[in-house]
Amino acid sequence: MSSGDTKFKLSEFWNEFKKEKSGIVGLVILLLCLLVVIFEPLILPWKEANSKWRDINYWQDNPASAPPEWTNVFSKQKAPVTQRITKGKREEVELEGGAKMVTYTLDYNYTADKAPLDVIFHISGTGDIPLTVSIERPDGLQVELFQRFEQGLSNQDIRISVDNDGREAAFAFIKQYESELALEDYSSTSLRTGDILFSIAQTGMAKEFKPLKGTYKLIAQAMILDPANMDISDPYVVVTGSVSGILGTDDSKRDLASGLIAGMKWALMIGFLTSIVSVLIGVLYGIISAYFGGKVDSVMMFIYQIVNSIPVLPVLIVISAIFKPNIYTLILVMIIFFWTGSVMTVRSMALQIKEETYIEAAKALGATNRRIIFRHMVPLLIPYSFASMALSVPSAIVYESSVSLLGLGDATIVTWGQILHDAMQGAAVLKGLWWWVIPPGLAIAAMGMTFAFIGFSMDKILHPKLQTR
Amino acid sequence: MADVIVHIEGLKKYFEPHQSLIQSIGKSGPKKVIKAVDSISFDIVRGEIFGLIGESGSGKTTTGKLVMKLLDPTEGVIEFNNEDVTKLDKAGVIEYRRKVQMIFQDPYASMNPRFKIRDVLEEPLIIHKIGSSFDERQKLIIKALEEVKMMPAEEFMGRYPHMLSGGQRQRVATARTLILNPSLLVADEPVSMIDLSTRAEILAMMKDVQEDLGLSYLYITHDLSTARYFTDRIAVMYLGRIVEMGLADDIIDNPLHPYTQALIQAVPEPNAGNVGVVKELPIFGEIPSPANIPSGCRFHTRCPYAKPECENEAEPELMPAGNGHFHACRRWDQIKRAL
Repeated sequence: MSSGDTKFKLSEFWNEFKKEKSGIVGLVILLLCLLVVIFEPLILPWKEANSKWRDINYWQDNPASAPPEWTNVFSKQKAPVTQRITKGKREEVELEGGAKMVTYTLDYNYTADKAPLDVIFHISGTGDIPLTVSIERPDGLQVELFQRFEQGLSNQDIRISVDNDGREAAFAFIKQYESELALEDYSSTSLRTGDILFSIAQTGMAKEFKPLKGTYKLIAQAMILDPANMDISDPYVVVTGSVSGILGTDDSKRDLASGLIAGMKWALMIGFLTSIVSVLIGVLYGIISAYFGGKVDSVMMFIYQIVNSIPVLPVLIVISAIFKPNIYTLILVMIIFFWTGSVMTVRSMALQIKEETYIEAAKALGATNRRIIFRHMVPLLIPYSFASMALSVPSAIVYESSVSLLGLGDATIVTWGQILHDAMQGAAVLKGLWWWVIPPGLAIAAMGMTFAFIGFSMDKILHPKLQTR
Repeated sequence: MADVIVHIEGLKKYFEPHQSLIQSIGKSGPKKVIKAVDSISFDIVRGEIFGLIGESGSGKTTTGKLVMKLLDPTEGVIEFNNEDVTKLDKAGVIEYRRKVQMIFQDPYASMNPRFKIRDVLEEPLIIHKIGSSFDERQKLIIKALEEVKMMPAEEFMGRYPHMLSGGQRQRVATARTLILNPSLLVADEPVSMIDLSTRAEILAMMKDVQEDLGLSYLYITHDLSTARYFTDRIAVMYLGRIVEMGLADDIIDNPLHPYTQALIQAVPEPNAGNVGVVKELPIFGEIPSPANIPSGCRFHTRCPYAKPECENEAEPELMPAGNGHFHACRRWDQIKRAL
């Protein structure tokens, strides 16, 4: 067939497809998914979510099991949002003997009704740094939280968690307002630092948290003895709120929105590759078996029955024990076992098509077996193939997650199945962490629906007789 | 001897019913063989229309498929242009099919419903690599459509088969076969599914084409009236065997075999006063199963003139009755006298 003819057919197909609303919906969702995959580096909230999904240090500043930010809209008491403050003001004061005092001041505008869980300072230091961290409250009170002398740094990150490292200082601060008696029940470990620092300074603050709203100055100060070789730079502060991100975090503090976006490309790839390749193999296998019949059919059906009756999971366990589990080997193994899914239906359909007069007519015209199979039989089975692909896309994704459940998933990537699996292990449903379960579940369902919509619309178009109805 | 295009001798086609592995081990009894075509011989002369007539189940379609090489014969010889074509290789079969083409009974079923008329007609060109470019093939398609009087051709090319009437479909089916320039056309009941009103038109078209291109036809039908109108010679088949063969006029006007006589009497005549008149058929019952062919003359079970010898003695072969007329009835002269 000439290319002009093919082009004509495609444009004709597209004109028909445009009339199918559900098909367009499916196509739009699929295109959106593809756009997300293409622009993933731009929209990923945590840029290294792909490579550091299992790196605890990467996620350590996040709150654990925090609901999404937008849940604030529905709650009376607004929770502080996890945010990252990078805009710092640097001040230098020259001291005697060449040394200088460097001060970074970062502003945090606190408006919530609950205290942040933690305030974490990050600063890069080189050389020997005596670091002081303090906080200046909107009411003018300044609390010096922490002092530390770091030695022998070479542009390394210094991390100071106010909740941990500023506990003693905060306890000292509350003592100024509360009597010994009131604090009898508390110790420096049972009081949360955030509740003290972000509270109105008054008697009774230990019992009831009353937020002191306004701009807090977070100050990091260091004496640089040898400015030529030592310095501090690039400070940032993470205020760990009790809500975080678009979709919250899981119990390992990972940002679920990042995980979901990063998992989309794998979901598409697992779904596409597994379903397309396995359905193609299955459809061709079924057609060939039915078309040639006789001994060919018997042998092919025998092989089919053997493959179909092999339990997949034990084989998968053995394979992943021998080879390093990798997403591509997983897909390959799934294809090896999934192709049988469409064989029987295709074979029975092909047995029927084979008897059609136009197949005989094509033979009488001198058509080769290959031509009859590909020009006359395969096109009839395309609608079924698409439906079958649509059906096996979600099952491939779910299957991948079942494999993850056994610890056989690809540990270098993040998939929706793995997120769901983590949620199950973390008892997310029991703990009411719905944002950990519903989004990946919905994503998998939506992905399946998308393919089903597209498949059924194509079905209508590829059956010319249905058009007139 | 006239210029014979197809020579068939002792052609047999037996079907063996499918048996599973277990069945074939378990039962050791004689296999039930379906004798669809049981040793037939005839010649088709170049440029003639040869009719093959019989009830359903008489093996006429199987014969057509054997000639078409859609089925392999169990035994016998098919010669095409004096060459044996029963044992052709793949390339040979494709080459053979360029010269021998077939028109099917159901013009709708014989075209892929997903193919537009253009695709239907382009397929043989692609298969046989005729016409190197899209435009060249386009011209051939238009020419073929005009040949079967489908005009304007361009308009029909974009349609699907289900958008055409039965007559139009059969014209397209004819065009599809003619596009390859064959020398023999096997037409398997080409007008039986078409309205009576368009039958004559289609047959006239086929005849025109035949005269224009010097084609030969193997016209398979159960309809004696079109056979007389359309064919030069007729062979009457019963249960896989030819029982009578001769010039069309001879067969219709002077049938020698009781089966042919019965067929001719069965044709309804649209004459005044025939309303409600049911013709009494001289033969009765259904055609016996080809898996269980009666002994002796295979027609004796339904023959009104059957005598014990018909059942007990060997089956009669085709006998000449002069003027190229053959029959296979041992009692033909007695029957003739009785009439």
